Amino acid sequence: MSPSYNLDDVEWFDPLPENVVLGEGTYLYSSYAFRHCMSERPCAVRVGKYTNIYPDTCFDLGPRGEVTVGDYTHLSDPTISTNGRVSIGSHCMVAWETVLADIAYAVPPDSRAALGQPEPDPGDTDIVLADNAWIGARAVLLGGARIGEGSVVGAGSVVDFEVPPYTVAAGNPARIMGPVRTAR
Amino acid sequence: MSERPERRGPERRKSVPDRRGGELLDRREWLNQVTGNWDHDILPGNVHIGSDCYLESTGSFALWKSGTDPGIVIGDRVTIYGWTKFESVGSGFIEVGDDSILVGARLMSSERISIGRRVVVSHHVLFADSDMHPVEPQLRRKETVALAYYDDSERRQPVDVRPITVGDDVWIGAASIVLKGVTIGEGARVQAGSVVVDDIPAGAVVAGSPARPIEEGERP
Repeated sequence: MSPSYNLDDVEWFDPLPENVVLGEGTYLYSSYAFRHCMSERPCAVRVGKYTNIYPDTCFDLGPRGEVTVGDYTHLSDPTISTNGRVSIGSHCMVAWETVLADIAYAVPPDSRAALGQPEPDPGDTDIVLADNAWIGARAVLLGGARIGEGSVVGAGSVVDFEVPPYTVAAGNPARIMGPVRTAR
Repeated sequence: MSERPERRGPERRKSVPDRRGGELLDRREWLNQVTGNWDHDILPGNVHIGSDCYLESTGSFALWKSGTDPGIVIGDRVTIYGWTKFESVGSGFIEVGDDSILVGARLMSSERISIGRRVVVSHHVLFADSDMHPVEPQLRRKETVALAYYDDSERRQPVDVRPITVGDDVWIGAASIVLKGVTIGEGARVQAGSVVVDDIPAGAVVAGSPARPIEEGERP
């Protein structure tokens, strides 16, 4: 089964950028998601197998931006705005209107010079979602957010720190609320 | 403002072969057409745009129904990305100062939203200068009737409306919400995810819900 993406129901006809790789059985609603992808990396976005990328998802990547997404992950409509690395594991779920951005005042790469801020050091602003993480609606993950395996980030939270595995983090500002209940 | 890198969108689109015949190709060419070369005919007549602006999509004005003139006044060298939406609730007025960057602002105006100069608004930010609907339950019940398709929108109930003023050099972080009657002072920084319900003094850094001042560098 090859990757599928829909060019029939939307008014956007661009082919995928050459440095975007979709795995087998992955569903992409539209290549419109890559209209702001200005990454010059050889592989800007790599998506694994059987991942779903729904409408209004946007990869807003600067020249050094790089995103990897694992297998069986569901991206409802996150805006991923970074000039660094974003790594999303397998079996993750990312809900509506979430923002994954390396800086709080994230703007597309062609406007970043107008901010007059020095580029953050590479590595400091990485965002990592380990396998099986779940991000609630309208949450914001800023540079330095590392969500552990199986952890849950509540709706509307703002996270810029490391959340341990199997932990719930929620609130604005976000706090660790406790362990995720697991069936044993 | 520094030289912009070359835009990739429209150029790339021209190279796509027309697989469908003329009609859809025209539509495609209409979409996101206006990149600095203004075609005022396809914008609402009460939208006034300064020189050297970058507007990614005319879809930003699809929900602008206000009849006031001027309705939207945009200064010079303003950058407006396609995620930004201008919405009128009744008769609204929105002004945006020179050199501002609106990435993903949803501006819902009943009276007046003023954005200053050199303001940066990040992704998924909401501005609303009214409550939209009455808070009192019985009035809200009448409002639901007035809003029904066959009823008279003239009978809509009065709501609390207070204008929003955003000063020069303000930066507003991703997923923030700015509510009615708020004045954000010059140079203030609104951290990501804030809900701004009170005035912010000039130069302050605020975070949280409701947004409160924090020290620069302190974790919200």
